[in-house]
Amino acid sequence: MPSHAGTPLVEASGLNRVYHRPRTSLTRPGAAVHALRDVSLTIRRGERFGIVGESGSGKSTLLRLLCALDRPTSGSIRFDGQEISGRPEKRLRFLRENLQIVFQDPMSSLDPRMRVRDLVAEPLVALGLPAGDRVKELLADVGLPPEAADRYPHQFSGGQRQRIAIARALAPRPQVLVADEPVSALDVSVRGQILNLLADLVDDLGLTLVFVSHDLSVVRHVCETVAVMNAGEIVETGPVDDVWEAPAHPYTQELLRAVPTLEGLW
Amino acid sequence: MSTLKVEGLSVRAGALELVREVSFAIAPGERVGLIGESGSGKSLTALSLMGLLPEDVTASGTARLGGRDLVGVPESRVKDLRGREVSMVFQEPMTALNPLMRVGAQVAEVMTLHGTPRHDARERAVALLDRVRLPEPAQVARAYPHQLSGGQRQRVMLAIALANGPGLLICDEPTTALDVTVQKQMLELIDEVAPALLFITHDLAVVASVCERVLVMYGGRVVESGPIREVFTRPRHRYTEGLLAASRLTPRGTRLPTIQGSVPPAGRFPGGCVFRNRCPHATPTCEAAPALTGEGHAFACWHPAG
Repeated sequence: MPSHAGTPLVEASGLNRVYHRPRTSLTRPGAAVHALRDVSLTIRRGERFGIVGESGSGKSTLLRLLCALDRPTSGSIRFDGQEISGRPEKRLRFLRENLQIVFQDPMSSLDPRMRVRDLVAEPLVALGLPAGDRVKELLADVGLPPEAADRYPHQFSGGQRQRIAIARALAPRPQVLVADEPVSALDVSVRGQILNLLADLVDDLGLTLVFVSHDLSVVRHVCETVAVMNAGEIVETGPVDDVWEAPAHPYTQELLRAVPTLEGLW
Repeated sequence: MSTLKVEGLSVRAGALELVREVSFAIAPGERVGLIGESGSGKSLTALSLMGLLPEDVTASGTARLGGRDLVGVPESRVKDLRGREVSMVFQEPMTALNPLMRVGAQVAEVMTLHGTPRHDARERAVALLDRVRLPEPAQVARAYPHQLSGGQRQRVMLAIALANGPGLLICDEPTTALDVTVQKQMLELIDEVAPALLFITHDLAVVASVCERVLVMYGGRVVESGPIREVFTRPRHRYTEGLLAASRLTPRGTRLPTIQGSVPPAGRFPGGCVFRNRCPHATPTCEAAPALTGEGHAFACWHPAG
């Protein structure tokens, strides 16, 4: 882990994002939807930070802002001390090198017409970095054989495709890995393989992990800190074990009660 | 009320055997879970009971519900049974509902198809929407599907499934697309209204909260079955054992138990025991297919756990 572990890496303050519905009248603008209300958070170097929420909670909007894929209506996001919100794409290179994303569905996030070699090398090409032996190295890191490089995504199972997506995200040696529901589309028997792989990579490479999920029990296994979102706000945040053992906010309590569990049987 | 009895149900697509020799029974009032990962054959099993298999896929064996055959009968007969004797709720309520039709009319339609006079059907549709606990059912009846939330749409699907008073309700991943807080309410509702239930899911915790008995499928076969508490606390088949271990999220910093490899695509499961290429206990004995044996708690494994 880097020596400056624990210092703030991503700092968001007072984030708001308002969308406008399509107008339904000639004279009035469309209704405003407050997707994010006054959200602030700090993610420290080397931390495993979980974001939990149901559909419509604003977790995807927050994620898009943190990755500079969308701009906040107001508020600021600093990455390693530099303001990123509102920057044009050509001035976001440092962020693109240092923050990479793994999406939920590896079937739709991998171009079916590209070979694995080109998929994994794509972020390097986009950033003008040399690929060299990096692809082979990355495939080994995620537990895929070197021959995988010559094949197409459809020739792999869901779990293997998620490994390819992780290899691609790691290509430019980012400091931060953002994983958006990375195991939600996978079978239970494969879920553990991918969660174990993520944990290993985060340890070995000293990564900061931002892990988004609808499932608090998965977040509890992966992360040390959690932010619980509901209706565009962070309603509770803190060490995940504290939130799990003694949820303070009524929404978190309701969420925990609703999660079906096998614990009663054991 | 009648019992569903399925015997030797197989489903094939050409030379591919997708479901093999599945047998089980569901008594009135019983809640039975059918669990397995994607590609295990659980949805095909359900679709064959509904007479809804795709064109080139055929079912053989028998399935009887209250003295009527569900498998191997012509479509003209099946359509009288479907909805009346056995009905089904699917995973995705947005694609299962007609977007151009008000939901009350969709609930009423399934009753008029089975001979209820139009006027009575309209009235009963509102009563059914009330029964699935939709607030202001008369107003909901006039809504279009896109005006409802995912959970509300799934309640409408349930109202449609219950409309003709079937003896058996099949639910195929009915809550997978829903948020957990909505899922909980939906599961409670299903438990309350189902006459007899076949509940299909990949989620072990969900099945444990609804069902009293469970069938575990893998590679198109039932590999283990029995009372849910017993199967989940003392699994005998190595696949069930692995699935349960993988479902249990251990504390942070520990390794999660996994099952090696992944579920093979249809037709690529090994002969003999279908799980043997992923099983840590497999021996040459497993090249012969083990039979599902045992009273109450049954399993098909040469080297059972426990």
